[in-house]
Amino acid sequence: MGRDQEYRRVAVFGGVYSNTPALEALLMDARRRDVEAVFCLGDMGGFGPYPDRVFRPLRESGVLAIQGNYDESLVAGRTDCGCGYTDPRDNHYARISYEYTVRHTSTENKAWLGSLPGARRVKLGPHRLLMCHGSPRLINEFLWESATPNGLIQALLSEHETDVILCTHTGIKWHRPLDRDRHLVNVGVIGRPENDGTPRVWYAILTACPALEVEFVPLVYDHERLARQMEAEGLPPEFAETIRTGWWTTCLENLPARERQRSRF
Amino acid sequence: MRAPLPVLDGPAAPAVPFRRLTTLWVQITGTWCNLECAHCINASGPEDPWLKPLDGATVREAIRDAARLGVKDIYFTGGEPFLHREILPLLGFALETAPTTVLTNGTAITEAMADALAALAASAPYSFEIRVSLDDVDPEANDRIRGSGSWKKAVDAIARLYARGLLPIVTATEIAAGGGTVEGLYDRFQRFLVARGITKPRVKIMPVFPIGRMPGGDALRLSAEMLEGFDLGLLQCAETRVVAAGGVYACPILAGLPGARLSTGGLEAAFGPAPLYHTACVTCHRTGMTCRNA
Repeated sequence: MGRDQEYRRVAVFGGVYSNTPALEALLMDARRRDVEAVFCLGDMGGFGPYPDRVFRPLRESGVLAIQGNYDESLVAGRTDCGCGYTDPRDNHYARISYEYTVRHTSTENKAWLGSLPGARRVKLGPHRLLMCHGSPRLINEFLWESATPNGLIQALLSEHETDVILCTHTGIKWHRPLDRDRHLVNVGVIGRPENDGTPRVWYAILTACPALEVEFVPLVYDHERLARQMEAEGLPPEFAETIRTGWWTTCLENLPARERQRSRF
Repeated sequence: MRAPLPVLDGPAAPAVPFRRLTTLWVQITGTWCNLECAHCINASGPEDPWLKPLDGATVREAIRDAARLGVKDIYFTGGEPFLHREILPLLGFALETAPTTVLTNGTAITEAMADALAALAASAPYSFEIRVSLDDVDPEANDRIRGSGSWKKAVDAIARLYARGLLPIVTATEIAAGGGTVEGLYDRFQRFLVARGITKPRVKIMPVFPIGRMPGGDALRLSAEMLEGFDLGLLQCAETRVVAAGGVYACPILAGLPGARLSTGGLEAAFGPAPLYHTACVTCHRTGMTCRNA
């Protein structure tokens, strides 16, 4: 794990899910916002089309990435994405998505994913940041806003000797500041909308002022192009519907009550 | 229950090392229930419960301990939790600490109780989940398993909760699948709920355990050889503890059984390895199931 390189302002995103148009929009947007580095919290593939297309922009832009559960499964040659679903319908769609991604990810790109660390530590001004995919203790742990108690966050911060935990995996962004300028930030994902009825996706910018400032940045991108590509590749129409409408049509059973209440389906 | 549940003897059982306290279960009413379901894992019923209910002070102490230890979620089960006179304040207390789920047969969820639960959910800092048990979409088939009139009461409870913006998780067991698949059963419940106007149906299917009123015939138990190469962390007893009458236990399926009791004192005293001594452990190993919501 890389340790304690120091920055003042960084961009952090998660869950590319093969959404190359959104990734390209993010890289342009972050460049305009005066960030010193761009970090990715993993899950390059899944859900979207043409998984191999995300690697070039990631590498050429010097994105500092870690592995997500999807990446870890691809590297290990597993038969399952390891997303952590327990519901039969969720697992049905996860299987389709994973098998497609396995088939369309080159050996070279799998090797690159294999070279990524599982977590990363950096300094942002005075703040110690720990970047992970699901949680610091489990790559596929879901940390939803309504289902992550303060006591758990405090325990994770203390156990992992950090001031700020940055994670993704759930697909919905949130930020909870605790006392003594400690934080948990789920940066969301750029691969699919966050179930809010709009096609935009989100990433986060963190600035040491020196108190920590967290800004969530919406990204508008050519989602219609992505949806058409998904259809051309024969991916489930439910996936393209999500990209167009902003409402999740799959992987809903994992949502806690409060997040599901805000959902359309 | 009138006859004690069997504790199986035999060679030393393999054990699951304790990893962390992710989930606290509260066996709040022990085995006191107003139904006597044919497949009940702990043979709950209305008369002379073999496992006694917990008092409110014990529940609060366990929740405070769990909060200090970084628990992620809390579940209330029984028996029927809504028979406990302090259920609402205790749910409220738990919800101040962590997301909380209550498992119920729905029979006590009147209009007034549904109002109270909706108020609790609205004021809580974390998600409040209500799991309502229903074993078949067909009233007669359900009532054969769960007792006369139970289908209507459960379905009414689901409708009342849904009408208030709560999204109950309808929980069934594979007993209703007959010769069909779990996926087929899941779809059947989904279609049933949608047909009743529930546009965000939530369904959880559980296996039937060879325990309680449906004890297994072959008494198969897990051996060290069977667990070779298996990640023991996948079993819920690696991250779960249950507070029930008499102490702290390894998992909600085995709560109350002496063989699963890990401490007669506090929660932390029960953080040792959990023995996989019961035939029910085979079901967890085989199915990869979790008693958690997801």
